[in-house]
Amino acid sequence: MVELLEDYLFTIVFVSMFINLGLSLFGLFYKPHYTKKLIMLGILGDTLNVFAVFVGYRAWPSPSTPSRPPILLTYPFENTSVLVEFTSRAVDPLPQALVLTAVVIGLAVMVFLIFLGDNLYKHYGTLDMREIKRLRG
Amino acid sequence: MRTLVKLVVITSVVMGLSLLLVLAGVSFYPSSRVRWLALAYLNTTYNPYLPNFTVWSPESVTAIVWDYRGLDTLYETTVFFLAIISGLALGRGVKRLNLKPGGDMGLSLIVKTVTRITGPMILAVAASIGLHGHLTPGGGFQGGATAAVVPVLYIVIFSVFYLSWKGVSTGRMLTMRSIGLIGIGATSIAVFTAGLLEGAPAYVFQNIAKATSPVSMPYYIHGALTSGTLWWFNLFEFLAVSAGFALAFIILMTPEADKNG
Repeated sequence: MVELLEDYLFTIVFVSMFINLGLSLFGLFYKPHYTKKLIMLGILGDTLNVFAVFVGYRAWPSPSTPSRPPILLTYPFENTSVLVEFTSRAVDPLPQALVLTAVVIGLAVMVFLIFLGDNLYKHYGTLDMREIKRLRG
Repeated sequence: MRTLVKLVVITSVVMGLSLLLVLAGVSFYPSSRVRWLALAYLNTTYNPYLPNFTVWSPESVTAIVWDYRGLDTLYETTVFFLAIISGLALGRGVKRLNLKPGGDMGLSLIVKTVTRITGPMILAVAASIGLHGHLTPGGGFQGGATAAVVPVLYIVIFSVFYLSWKGVSTGRMLTMRSIGLIGIGATSIAVFTAGLLEGAPAYVFQNIAKATSPVSMPYYIHGALTSGTLWWFNLFEFLAVSAGFALAFIILMTPEADKNG
């Protein structure tokens, strides 16, 4: 029963990420306001980042014992047993490395898009995409 | 009411679909094993028994970011540089106000006093995150993003003119950012240059000596573990990210002057 519940919770996370992806894409394409598009773009990027971290996740090897964070505590170490224990507990570090740069790059791109929106407002007096399309004429 | 109905529909779709998948035996519970590639990274991130493969950093994420896949991160830094610089290019040509900060600007005295205390504390935490990035979770990107919170706080709570009166001007931020980017470039070719001078083979973005190249960045400096180039990359990335964001926020939040004057 407990395994089924754990499975269910993880599946909810997985499925809701896909739903989130669809919703943010819908908002990105169909919401007419520039700020709402930016918000949806942020949600889209964050969902993809959570997805990447989810891919790198790893179940705790022995469910009966409480989990401990995988830290190389004793370095310099005398034998390889520390390293073996570390490798048996640590999650995949590659998705985390990709996500950590993606978050900061996403923030920088967002700053650029906000500058763009600032200029849009200055030139057209509105951020509504329908209005801007009409004004361009 | 309609929003509530939409929410209920979406939630029930998620819950029902998950239940269906679980009952059908499709499991998304992660396995207890990691991929072979991850094992290779974890095994060599700090391993004195493999001196030609290790990075000498107990923090494998930073080791991947700046050593195993360092060239990727260099290009990520390029994207960051271009995003900020194109934002600034869009914001140019606008006359912005430059007032003297007065006592009536910003929020109340209580908020200002609390910010005066917490601002330096946030900076200290950011420096700790950034400069210990090769030992504990953190690094230049995260530390820089944390440090960039401080100018935003000061702009909101005092005013943007208070910052420039205190010496955090756009020119200085641009200088700091350029120092950071030049430092990243210099660190990436440091070992290569040393190899050229010594006449030994060495590679761009090399950190620790490899089997084909004996040149190595010092990874213990005066008894402290610095993991070769990782510490320097973290330092310069910290400068570049924090100053770049501070620059963008300052320019974005400075009010524009009227057309009349």
